[in-house]
Amino acid sequence: MINGNLKADYSADERILNNRNKQFFVYGSMFFLTLFPVFADDYAVLMACKMGILLIAVIGVNVLTGYTGLISLGHGAFIAIGAYSTVIFSNLFDGLPTGILPFVVVPLAISVSAIIGIIVGLPSLRVKGLYLAVATLAASFIVKFLIEQDLFSPWTGGIVGIDTPVPNILGWELDTKREMYVLITVLAICTMLAAQNLFRTRVGRAFIAIRDRDYSAEILGISLLRYKLMSFAISAGYCGLSGALGAYFYARILPDQFGLNLSLELVAALIVGGMGRTLGPFFGVIIIMLVPELIKISMSSATGGSLDWARYTAPVQEIVFGLLLVFFLLKEPLGINQITDRMLRAINRWPFARG
Amino acid sequence: MTFNRREFLATGAAATAAIGTPMILKAQAKEYVLGASLPLTGPFATAGQLVAPAFSLAQKLFNDEGGIAGIPIRFVTEDSGYVPQNTLANYQRVLATEGNSLVAYFSDSTGAMKLIAPELKGDNARLMGSTSFASELADPATHPYQYLSGPTYQDQFDILMQNIKLAGGSKIAIIYSNTEFGRDPLEHGRAKAAELGLEIVLEETTKPQGADIPTHVTKLAQSGAEHCILHGYVTGVWPQLIGGARQFGLPVQFHGTFWGMEKLIADRITAEAGPFLAGYQGVMPYRYFYDRDDAPRYQQYAALSKAMFAGTPLENYMSTWALQAMCGLELAMKALRATAEAGNELTADNVAENLSGISDWDSGGFFGGPVSMTNNKIGTGRVYEYSPETKLFTPSSDWLST
Repeated sequence: MINGNLKADYSADERILNNRNKQFFVYGSMFFLTLFPVFADDYAVLMACKMGILLIAVIGVNVLTGYTGLISLGHGAFIAIGAYSTVIFSNLFDGLPTGILPFVVVPLAISVSAIIGIIVGLPSLRVKGLYLAVATLAASFIVKFLIEQDLFSPWTGGIVGIDTPVPNILGWELDTKREMYVLITVLAICTMLAAQNLFRTRVGRAFIAIRDRDYSAEILGISLLRYKLMSFAISAGYCGLSGALGAYFYARILPDQFGLNLSLELVAALIVGGMGRTLGPFFGVIIIMLVPELIKISMSSATGGSLDWARYTAPVQEIVFGLLLVFFLLKEPLGINQITDRMLRAINRWPFARG
Repeated sequence: MTFNRREFLATGAAATAAIGTPMILKAQAKEYVLGASLPLTGPFATAGQLVAPAFSLAQKLFNDEGGIAGIPIRFVTEDSGYVPQNTLANYQRVLATEGNSLVAYFSDSTGAMKLIAPELKGDNARLMGSTSFASELADPATHPYQYLSGPTYQDQFDILMQNIKLAGGSKIAIIYSNTEFGRDPLEHGRAKAAELGLEIVLEETTKPQGADIPTHVTKLAQSGAEHCILHGYVTGVWPQLIGGARQFGLPVQFHGTFWGMEKLIADRITAEAGPFLAGYQGVMPYRYFYDRDDAPRYQQYAALSKAMFAGTPLENYMSTWALQAMCGLELAMKALRATAEAGNELTADNVAENLSGISDWDSGGFFGGPVSMTNNKIGTGRVYEYSPETKLFTPSSDWLST
């Protein structure tokens, strides 16, 4: 018998945080994130911001891959479009009051990413699986290629990159990492909630139907054209927001920041964290970004920061991280989210049977 | 004698001030930390792994000389994988862990320098050298704490073009990698060529690695260039381009810039593919390590290398890339020591002021004569030529300044 999940009415059944353990975990995390900038040093804040920016993009990939079942290896391109659009529109609308500029620029950047997302998503109507992955891969190369061209360098800075503006929200200039942390954390939580709610709507359920069997979905009356492209647009929009925050966070953006590695990192984070799960991207980003740093720090302390050792430990760190990823995938192919699910379920049912 | 509460507190505060203040004033770091990011993995791991031992040597050498005003130094060096964001994270981490003990940082790419530059303000600012010779960095107004340990890529183009003009050249080709590094001196190079009356008959961009050699060589052959400047390469492409041109029978004179002038690479190419690098010339800001008769500082490095790296190839030779790192560290140490000896705190502002004030510095052999920091760079260099027989780069010009 399942206990601890008493639902006496429909509103209780519809709650996102439908038991005390989930509430404790989520509210506890939010409390921790609120206090974090008070006690964390600059390095920890930097890492948290980087994780927040990547998290938003991975949530976007989750919409497409995790919920709609469409694989993309080109989402780094949408982050690039978001980042460069932010800089280009900021320069374009230079005359606007700086305090309201982000409210104009960021939605525009998200829209441009979403539109490009629709264009890149067109092949998804004809091809699936690995074929679609290869088709989207092209986006990654084409966008980076265009950014680097001299023709567009007056707007993009070309291969040498371009300086980014400092965001100013209604007079509040976010010129420190700690201030950016506040913005990034709030938006990361909002986007995660938005994604969670999306799959409680008709659109989200259509995505899931397409993922589970596309032709069955079509027979049920779901327009594949409409919903697949919508999924691409939403997903790319999330990545556009991530790029916009990246542009505000880093003082300069360079085309090399948006290479194939970034696209692969997004997919890897999603697979490790758990596809098609709200908290999957959250856990995936922790593993992808935090574990290499922890390995680096622990190896550095073990060798006393010795340079002679650093020459050998640097390649070893990469190998250890790779092995860890393989270990996670072997032990839990459904991602870290599955492990935390089991833990929460066990706590929830204690002292009765786990499982 | 009795104290009331107010008198007790006042006496206590006065006593603390009298006893404690001199201790606070005297308090200073037990050691100073110099941080560094190197590409120990990734596309430039070859260069990073060759530069890394220089930091061990520098730590020993500088500490044997008394560190900074008697306080020892320690290097904290980490891998960046040649990713600018990783270098920024490394910098922030060492800043957080070492605090005020961190007095300087060595960065590993132009991208990283540009990414970190806006972060260098207030308490987070530190003096910062790097592997980069990017022209944009040589501007104290925009990059007050960052410096170059030699001439910019634009300066290197100036030196090469002056030398080509002196040799009677008139038609030149520029082949460069499609990277920020490769494109850096391009616009300036065009202007300089026009100024010197040199005609640029070909501007060709290539991939930084794995370039399509036959296509580029064919274009070079069609251009009719007498001289060809190769820029923006480290270990690959430039030797293959020269090899391809020689197989094609092109008599073009090739010229390289700093990162394409490493003897270890030229020797390896010669051993594997034959003597086609004969006559290859390029600009080098520093004296080569084997040319140390008039370089007392190099002799010190050589003695230490023999002791520290016995049984390895580094025992007798220090790569040009490691020399660049050493020169950068020498400049930082000179500025740090001057600041400490003047009794000033080692803040980025104080150290940067001393660095920009370096003039007529006798480097002990790095450069041809005394040099000065102008716009946070040292604009001097010399053209060298490679000989496959001797496996040495030998000077083919005097020291030229820009």
